[in-house]
Amino acid sequence: MNDVQQLSCPAVYFDGVTSARHPVTIDVTAQAVVIRAPGGGVVDEWPYPRLKHLNAPAHIFRIGLRKSDRLARLDIADQEVAHAIDLACPDIDRTGASARNQQRRAIGWAFAATVSLMAVAVYGVPLLADRLAPLVPQGIERRLGAAADTQVRAMLNDGPPDRPFECGGAPVEGPGRLAFDKLMARLQVASGLTIPIRAAVIRRKEANAIALPGGHIYVYQGLIDQAQTADEVAGVIAHELGHATARDGTRTILQGAGLSLIFGMLLGDFVGGGAVVLASEKLLKSAYSRDKEAAADAFAVRTMLALKGDARALGRFLERIAGKTGKKSIFLDHPATQDRVTWINAIAPPQSDGATLLDAAEWAALKRICAGYR
Amino acid sequence: MSLSEAGATAVAAGNTACRPVRFLGTGKQFWAILFRGAVLLMVTLGIYRFWLATDVRRFLWGNTTIDGESLEYSGTAIELLQGFLVAIALILPIYTIFLITILDLGTVGSALSAAAVILLAFLSQYGIYLARRYRLTRTVFRGLRFHQTGSAIRYAICAIWWWSLTAFTLGFVYPFTRAALERLKMRHTYFGDLQGRFEASGWSLFWRGFLMWLAVLIPALMTLTTLLSVNWPAAMAAMRGGGDVLARIERASPGFASAIAGAIVLAVVCLVLIAALFPAFHALVVRWWISGLRFGEVTAISHLRTRDVYWTYLRFVGGLLVFALLLIVGIFVGLLIIGIAFQSADPQVSEIVTVLMLVGTYVVAALGLITLYQSIVMLSVWRLAAESIELVNAGALARVRAAGDASSPLGEGIADVLNLGGI
Repeated sequence: MNDVQQLSCPAVYFDGVTSARHPVTIDVTAQAVVIRAPGGGVVDEWPYPRLKHLNAPAHIFRIGLRKSDRLARLDIADQEVAHAIDLACPDIDRTGASARNQQRRAIGWAFAATVSLMAVAVYGVPLLADRLAPLVPQGIERRLGAAADTQVRAMLNDGPPDRPFECGGAPVEGPGRLAFDKLMARLQVASGLTIPIRAAVIRRKEANAIALPGGHIYVYQGLIDQAQTADEVAGVIAHELGHATARDGTRTILQGAGLSLIFGMLLGDFVGGGAVVLASEKLLKSAYSRDKEAAADAFAVRTMLALKGDARALGRFLERIAGKTGKKSIFLDHPATQDRVTWINAIAPPQSDGATLLDAAEWAALKRICAGYR
Repeated sequence: MSLSEAGATAVAAGNTACRPVRFLGTGKQFWAILFRGAVLLMVTLGIYRFWLATDVRRFLWGNTTIDGESLEYSGTAIELLQGFLVAIALILPIYTIFLITILDLGTVGSALSAAAVILLAFLSQYGIYLARRYRLTRTVFRGLRFHQTGSAIRYAICAIWWWSLTAFTLGFVYPFTRAALERLKMRHTYFGDLQGRFEASGWSLFWRGFLMWLAVLIPALMTLTTLLSVNWPAAMAAMRGGGDVLARIERASPGFASAIAGAIVLAVVCLVLIAALFPAFHALVVRWWISGLRFGEVTAISHLRTRDVYWTYLRFVGGLLVFALLLIVGIFVGLLIIGIAFQSADPQVSEIVTVLMLVGTYVVAALGLITLYQSIVMLSVWRLAAESIELVNAGALARVRAAGDASSPLGEGIADVLNLGGI
């Protein structure tokens, strides 16, 4: 530090008490920057270890004291003196090398945080939702289901007002209703379900079935129309029962909340981030959903095997409904049909006898469960 | 001779005494900060925003000199990050209430969710006031910091009242909203012990902007009334099904096609007027705002010229055109590469690549747009506004005593959590 001795230059000093500009002379000594008034008297001495470099225009070297309650500042325009102080003081880097270093660390950490949040979104959120879903009280789930039920009915019921939405009410439909109830009862016992289930066949032409939170299961009329055996219908219902058992409706809501917390609040607060957020949320939701579908298929197979029914009927039925054109897509929330069939056949042993869950008369009655209204 | 000495000499000579504010930064430096920031924002999905905001403020503050002395931004990115984390902890319960509301529908639920919406509106204004306090206390000039007193709760209530009124009157009371809120903010703003105030009146902004407001509002209202004249239920019903849809709609709701065409023309007129008038409006508001600022006996008068602001926006539009051209070329090249590389790949892989490219293009476009806006419009208007300020009694700035302490960055965090970014 000997070479920095006795450098001196004029500078501008603000004492941090008033805004007055004080023209001073500074001496760069071995230990400190000595600030002298024009008369020569020492105004202050700033030891190097306490100096910090402050925000200023490029041609000004501005320093202050760290851990000081005053904001005293020294503006130095002399580049040689500025360089000498820079050398003497380990914390000051005019070239910005350590600032850049610090920033690189910050960027590294930010990147790591992003990666870890993504990992939480992919693995943590579904796990958390699995643990939390059973803790949601049945009462809340039922009310949730009731609200969803009202919406679904409003959305799906496109018939005239005098036509009941649910099949099985008209006299012609009575035997079908009995067959359906019998099928439901057998499936429910076999699946060991503890939550109350409300199942109904509804007048919709699509081949579909849905499970709402709170144990509502709707089987579309189109599904029964297109089924060739009672076990095909049973397989689909067992699949929906799987959703109800796993409380998938509640899990979906919890997962959605977790994702929107991560993507809406922690990440993505920049212009254009919205697209990243939407795409990632959609992608993850479909991934979660594909897992749920696979689990529900496994549940359906177990239930059908317990009833000694045809466990592969579900797969065959899916194949027939979807055709073989099932396109693969990462955004699809059901796995591709072919993958589901492969998965079902892998876990269900081939059936030797054609045992079915309903006898021929019952099956014929079920086929006519919606016959009361056209 | 250093610039501060130059400034002092100039003041002594009375040369630039009336226009003592200078901006020393260059567009190139600012562009470098913004460009790097945009890239890092993408890589970190937005976490880099705390560092970018700090860099931008250091650049703008540090290069703005008044009477030869530069402003100084003393905040750090870590402070902003801390403020954000604390704000998350505070806002998370509100978010949870939202969640429970969704789960627990019913009258209790809807009452709760209404309360949560009001609370969020309140919190965002509360955060805006606290964030202003943070920025002011991190602004140092001549060795003294600015500070802000006053109650953020009171500001939040006033702001919600005024902004709802502005929305209900379709912007009619906008000038009075601005004036009232600026008065409230500036009355509680201090440079050291020098109290600020705001003296521009809402009426002066009102009369200057009234014609612009009418010019935009009239076509907007006409668009709306034209659209309302259509018998929508009948038209919607007629839209279902195939066949000659247009003829069916025309029968169900006479004058449908001409109403829609008229609405489109009016909407285009409205948008063109907005685009054409916006620079003038921007200049008007900045001029009005600066000319209302007072610190003790120090009086600011803005001589910002509208044509300079127009020129700035023209440069922005030019920049946009160049950027759009580059983007199109980039997309073309990208598609070409993807087409060749993933020709025979698994459909799922090529779907992932396509989605990545779509999202990437959108992000690049949006970030590019905002970067262009900031590096051209924001910087130029900052420079033009600063350099056209006339200060009366600027000498009083040299006779101020220190007062106020550094405040917490919580408000910045709240504003950030609620996505209310500012510089």
